[in-house]
Amino acid sequence: MLVLVPSIDAGAPLSDAAAEALGAARELAQQRRCDVACALIGPNLAAATADAAQLGADTVLTATGHALDGDARVSIAANAVAQAQARVVLLPRGPHLLELAPRLAARTGGASVIGVTDIRHVDNDVHAIAAVFGGAARAQYAFRASGPRVIGLAPAVAAPPDRDPARTATTIELAIPQPTGRVTTLEPAAASSGPRLENAKLIVSGGRGLQDGENYALIRELADGLGGMTGASRAIVDDGWASFEQQVGLTGKIVTPDVYFAIGISGASQHMAGCATARCIVAVNTDPDAPIFKFADYGIVDDALEVLPELVRLARERA
Amino acid sequence: MHILVCVKQVLDPDGVNSYAFWGRLTVDPSGRAFDTGEMVPRIINAYDEQAVEAALQIRDAGIDCRITVVTVGNEESGTILKRCVAMGADDSFHIVDPGAGAGDGFRAAALLAGLVTELGDIDLVLCGRQGSDYDQGTVPAVLAERLDAALVTMSAGLTVHGDTLRVTRVTPLGEEVVRATTPAVVSISNEIGTPRYPSSRRMMQARRQPPERREANAYLESTSAIGVELTALVVPDVQGHCEIIDGATPAEKSQRLMQQLDERGLLSG
Ligand SMILES: Cc1cc2nc3c(=O)[nH]c(=O)nc-3n(C[C@H](O)[C@H](O)[C@H](O)COP(=O)(O)OP(=O)(O)OC[C@H]3O[C@@H](n4cnc5c(N)ncnc54)[C@H](O)[C@@H]3O)c2cc1C
Ligand SMILES: Nc1ncnc2c1ncn2[C@@H]1O[C@H](COP(=O)(O)O)[C@@H](O)[C@H]1O
Repeated sequence: MLVLVPSIDAGAPLSDAAAEALGAARELAQQRRCDVACALIGPNLAAATADAAQLGADTVLTATGHALDGDARVSIAANAVAQAQARVVLLPRGPHLLELAPRLAARTGGASVIGVTDIRHVDNDVHAIAAVFGGAARAQYAFRASGPRVIGLAPAVAAPPDRDPARTATTIELAIPQPTGRVTTLEPAAASSGPRLENAKLIVSGGRGLQDGENYALIRELADGLGGMTGASRAIVDDGWASFEQQVGLTGKIVTPDVYFAIGISGASQHMAGCATARCIVAVNTDPDAPIFKFADYGIVDDALEVLPELVRLARERA
Repeated sequence: MHILVCVKQVLDPDGVNSYAFWGRLTVDPSGRAFDTGEMVPRIINAYDEQAVEAALQIRDAGIDCRITVVTVGNEESGTILKRCVAMGADDSFHIVDPGAGAGDGFRAAALLAGLVTELGDIDLVLCGRQGSDYDQGTVPAVLAERLDAALVTMSAGLTVHGDTLRVTRVTPLGEEVVRATTPAVVSISNEIGTPRYPSSRRMMQARRQPPERREANAYLESTSAIGVELTALVVPDVQGHCEIIDGATPAEKSQRLMQQLDERGLLSG
């Protein structure tokens, strides 16, 4: 059993997602009676290595390298799989998952499924369960390839394991491959240093029900008034009313606020895939039959353009 | 330059959504497919139509190129190729795969790689970022591995400069620009923009240009899944629990809503 963490910032500890993957690996390893190895890729892995050991890795494979590209990550990952003789590989959610999981599977003669919410034991093998059609249904997959079962995990599949500060692991240093130079970054994403939607406690999102891009200003005013951040459906990002960084959903951000306001949003499964785990969802929609009311905790059936100014006024009074 | 665009037929995701919403999305006796029959149409995966658009934009930019489209699927799945030809693709291939296991991107990628090898002169393969059916995005990555080509995912636009590509990518942190060498596989995201609409004259013309047919067993001996096999589909039962806030006016409803949220301590953070 191998947990593969494809990118760790210099000196950073293991992320929550990686800790959850170790939790899932430990549960599986117990059932399959095997060890847990953890492969780490990044420039300075001391903190993450200690974390991996304390959270239950028996072996930690480290690949210490700067500015590695996708080609390098696949080579390192394939090497780690061979070293650990891993039959099952778990990858935590993260930006490299989409490329790395299927490439690693193809390179090692295995197969992959990403967005996995549940792993089942069937006939001494694993089956993976993942959402399809944006969450309208779930599919169970059996692996037919002979090689490793590569599983990309969805958020919160397992709890992070309890930490044992006394626990240590065998460490093995993995070689860094020669760069292929096939893909070179010319302009990196200008990561804004501001607060991130993924961490916001309160989000006000707007959709096509706002009627016009100018009305998105009301969404901003409400978010400001309540000390939250703004989100959007893909429909209005496509229309240019909001930016891609604000998109919530399957192909946007997955958010977990305490309160999520969905204003003029229909509630398509692909949108809900990004916000369904909010503690409380508030919907404002003119259509009492809109799907969003199936997911919402509180609903107002009314015109967003009449409700928003009232909410903004009340929010300002509170502040 | 020769560009191959991979397009896939999917059940219309909006149709599936409506069925799910009305509680009418059910699974057929095989347990592996929806029971929507002819009610939900099968359409071209929207990202793949955008991949065709991306290829046409390369031609519009003045690059001399041949654009070929291909789909892997059952007998009926070839219908989506006509639209791509009407949009401006030069030719099309239909790899007929009766064993096409739903959701096995590894099998689809193996067959697509078979055609790339047969054609012999493909410089660039364009795919959609993911099928809107299984949401996996397996095929472009596996194709790049099989062809030993560069892989760039989530493109919002690309330009060709000799044997290098300049690709703008969408990432969770914003846009980034990368350079890739050909041969390459690039997957296209919806940020590329709305695909052009074929004129009815071109649709008529495309009807007279049927796809070239290939049998899956020309490239693969087995007829079964080679990566993963979808063994069961389950439709979750979403039970609504929404409290609709009453009131005579929008002001009154808003007032009551804020009061509720305050009482639950949800606005204090
Ligand atoms: C593969 C794939 C990936 C996708 N990824 C995403 C994603 O990441 N995020 C995402 O959001 N979508 C995504 N989508 C799109 C998704 O399926 C929906 O099309 C989209 O979420 C709809 O946006 P919307 O609710 O703003 O617009 P609509 O569906 O047009 O809904 C507008 C709503 O506003 C209501 N309304 C109208 N007038 C008013 C008014 N005056 N006041 C109040 N309400 C009003 C209407 O009743 C309706 O419910 C994806 C789709 C696919 C196929
Ligand atoms: N059966 C297929 N035929 C042709 N192209 C496909 C097929 N399946 C997937 N693709 C391509 O690969 C992309 C990702 O699909 P998927 O891996 O199924 O999520 C799609 O957007 C298509 O461009």
